[in-house]
Amino acid sequence: MTGSNLSGLKSSLIDPKTLMSIRNLELRARVVVEGFWNGIHRSPYHGFSAEFTEYRQYTPDDDPRYLDWKVFARSDRFFVKKFEDETNLRCYLLSDQSRSMSYGSLGYTKAQYASTLAATLAYFLYLQGDAVGLLTFDEQIREYLPARHRTGHLRHLMLALEKPASGQATDLEAPLKHIVQAVRKRGLIVLLSDFLSPLERFEQNLSALAACRHEVLVVQVLDPAELTFEFKQPAMFQDVESGRIFFIDPGAARKEYLRKLEAHQASLRASCLRLGVSWQTLSTARPLELVLFDFLRQRMQRRNPVQRFSRQHRAQTAAVV
Amino acid sequence: MSFLAPLFLLGVAAVGLPIVFHLIRRTTRERKVFSSLMFLLPSPPRLTQRSRLEHLLLLLLRCAAIGLLTLGFARPFLKQTLAPPPGARGQRVLLLVDTSASMRRANLWSDARSKVDSILRTASLEDQFALFTFDRQIHPLLTFEQWSAAPVGERAALLARKLRDASPGWASTELGSALIQAAEMLGEKNGKMPAGQERIELITDLQEGSHLAQLQGYEWPKGLHVSTDVLTPRNNGNASVQLVADSEDADLKTPASVRVRVSNVAGDKREQFKVGWTRGAGEGFAVKPVEMYVPAGQSRIAALPVPPDNSLNRIILEGDDEDFDNLVFAIPPEPLRLHVLYLGSDLETDPKGAFYFLSRALQQTRHEAVHVSGHRPGERIAPAEQQDACLFVVTAALSPEEVVTLRAQVLAGKTVLVVPNSVEVQPTLNALLQLEGLKLEQVRPQNYAMLGEIDFQHPIFASFADPRFSDFTKIHFWQYVRLDSAAIPRARVLAKFDNGDPALLEVPTGAGRVLILTSGWQPQSSQLALSSKFVPLLYSILESSGIPSPLPAQYRVGDVVPLASLALAAQPNMTVKLPDDSQRPMGSGDTNFSQTDLPGIYTLTTSQGTRKFVVNLDASESRTAPLALDELERLGVPLARTAGEVRGSETERKARLQNSELENRQKLWRWFIVGTLLVLLSETWLAGRAARRAVQVLQPAPG
Repeated sequence: MTGSNLSGLKSSLIDPKTLMSIRNLELRARVVVEGFWNGIHRSPYHGFSAEFTEYRQYTPDDDPRYLDWKVFARSDRFFVKKFEDETNLRCYLLSDQSRSMSYGSLGYTKAQYASTLAATLAYFLYLQGDAVGLLTFDEQIREYLPARHRTGHLRHLMLALEKPASGQATDLEAPLKHIVQAVRKRGLIVLLSDFLSPLERFEQNLSALAACRHEVLVVQVLDPAELTFEFKQPAMFQDVESGRIFFIDPGAARKEYLRKLEAHQASLRASCLRLGVSWQTLSTARPLELVLFDFLRQRMQRRNPVQRFSRQHRAQTAAVV
Repeated sequence: MSFLAPLFLLGVAAVGLPIVFHLIRRTTRERKVFSSLMFLLPSPPRLTQRSRLEHLLLLLLRCAAIGLLTLGFARPFLKQTLAPPPGARGQRVLLLVDTSASMRRANLWSDARSKVDSILRTASLEDQFALFTFDRQIHPLLTFEQWSAAPVGERAALLARKLRDASPGWASTELGSALIQAAEMLGEKNGKMPAGQERIELITDLQEGSHLAQLQGYEWPKGLHVSTDVLTPRNNGNASVQLVADSEDADLKTPASVRVRVSNVAGDKREQFKVGWTRGAGEGFAVKPVEMYVPAGQSRIAALPVPPDNSLNRIILEGDDEDFDNLVFAIPPEPLRLHVLYLGSDLETDPKGAFYFLSRALQQTRHEAVHVSGHRPGERIAPAEQQDACLFVVTAALSPEEVVTLRAQVLAGKTVLVVPNSVEVQPTLNALLQLEGLKLEQVRPQNYAMLGEIDFQHPIFASFADPRFSDFTKIHFWQYVRLDSAAIPRARVLAKFDNGDPALLEVPTGAGRVLILTSGWQPQSSQLALSSKFVPLLYSILESSGIPSPLPAQYRVGDVVPLASLALAAQPNMTVKLPDDSQRPMGSGDTNFSQTDLPGIYTLTTSQGTRKFVVNLDASESRTAPLALDELERLGVPLARTAGEVRGSETERKARLQNSELENRQKLWRWFIVGTLLVLLSETWLAGRAARRAVQVLQPAPG
């Protein structure tokens, strides 16, 4: 993606508020993706297709169908044949549906924004022929759709994303564990959440995911009001998840809020950097085309590991509004 | 503008509430939903005072709404004069003002006059007033007739002038009888008055010693009310000194003293007093006073030695603020000197004779100094001695000249006791009684004679009428002289022997009388002199002989003093010198002296000499502790609920009715309510607009 392409993209950006006025999620995704070309990626992963790549000694729990009996006859040893996987990218979208995601000060919620982003990515990848899976969660796992690329799957995925956020709290441990257990093949894991919950065990769970050699992209979706806390009048503030009500004087509380938020962000960023996980904070005011562009750019940067850190860092810095 | 319910105007104070609310920053009630409060801490709520008022127009409207509502509730009306209803009648008010001695206390009399003035000021033209004062008695100063007869414009001034001329006296307070008399005076003429139109306005200090006992059981006229204006003294405390009567049996050998009681009313802060003899009020003590500690609500007795200087006759109490009862007058007891003349042949030293026992029976006491002098028949008796004697005792025959002289004394009012020792006295007795046929016969009974029949109705034996003292049976008579009582005209047999012979006869003779005791009292004739009846019998004879009775130690102010107790007999040209040195001549027909209006020493001057008596303040006047009004209610006095209520009730009721009618006609409150509603509507519209504007301004626009 070149600089001329980016400037052309910026000139045709759609205001997120206008975009969110489209009720149909799939249509929203299509509007965003339109203009992007369908790329075919050479699969870097091994699978069980026709093109052989190597032998591997049999270990218990391997499928015996793939034993090479001829080699066994020759050497009296069990070997499993490995072939180059012909499938495309397997992408899992992990979308936070907790109640904190239902907050929004721009006329739409963080959940709507995150769902639209997830739908956009799904649609974009679907057009490329990649398999897309979905896992929605709050304090527990709500929906899980394995990565597929077949007719109607995208429709199911859209329906799952359109379900309103109803959970009380955010628990990042359960979806990450589930993904680790359910997804055996390497793939792209995109975690969409506001991460407004304690991060004590987050790094541990994320490390399990990274250990499976998944490519993980952490996207933190925050409302502009959460990023700046630009309220004027004192009011009774109610926590949308716990229901607690505080009297808050924003003038007096803003500084402390921003300090704690920055500390939280720094903790999240540090965890991601330690694990080599891509990390991005999005304001819901940011146009989705730019977000998609950032996504593709990050994907390209991932292919050049030497330059990964510096470029990724710059991209993250630019993404924060 | 006036108000029918002015108490509602207090609600104007609520105007301060919106001002306070406008000054106080309210705790916000706006609620904002936020994604997570994990980075936030609750801010302390703020109720800080604003430095300046905001929304002034809104504040003014709110204040105006409260003010208008308050004015509406106060039922305003414009004062106008309504024509009085036809046939309106006033009240009859009897002002009963206390002029007892306790009203002499510092401010009470001036307060009483102020009360009367205030009553007269609030009176209407139709009201009728009468003014009475009372202490021991009720004194009319202005009657209803005099009030009505006076010109309308001068009535109040006339009453005030009458009261100004009056002043508190020294008499005690007989509030009970005064109220009853006042009620009866009103009741005599209340046939024309409707119920509730008459009242007694009692202006008094209502002290404890007001004597209310007469009110017990009195049936008050219906419709009559008594309203009380109780005057409160500046000083609640008061101590007093009173004279305590000394006992007649006091030993003559002990030095003479006067006992006084010092009383201190409850609540008095002073407890140390001095009491002693003085020459006059304000002159200090003439001799060393006695210091006394009398706690509040108690009394103490002290004996003051009679000073050798007989000119001292005042005892003063020092240490008390109220001095109206701090002075008492006391005359050292002066015995009454009596002379008994004995005419007999025996000597005073002869224990077998009658004179021996007579002279020993009549001893000197504190109140009576009886002197018995004896003369043998034929001895010359000085005329002055005869004149001085109040009782003649004859036991022997007298010469005709002596009998003439003795009869003259009897005719002048003296008493002669004839005790015939023998029949030789017969001529003397005949001559004394101017009889001729009276015969005496010496009788010696078989054993003895006893008194069988006694006339206890007679003053001589009246003191023996009690069954405890009426037993004369232990007195035996060995001999007596018998005489025929029927032969003596107007003779009254006072005692008879058990055989029917007369023992004691009374023969009125002229202004005096002759008593005939038919048996002697000496042991040779009877046991009478040895019995316990002898001395009382002699004193009975002596007291019934017209001698003055012992004077009481003191009279109270207002007491009636019987002249008979002051003089031996009615004397012409008697005068009484009052304590203020004025002379009050007494008429020949006067039997009592009743003008004891001042405390002090009164002196009765007669041709026989002078006699002093003391008039002191009634001790009950010193009981100045205030009496509760409940006591009057308990005794059935129809009290008005509060002082001055009845006085003002009629005029107030009229005024209330008039105001109510005016308010009902004008109904200004409706306009105030309409105004309130309009202001509230304006306030609602203005407040709504301000709130909408505030919402628009405060809408957060983060990001």
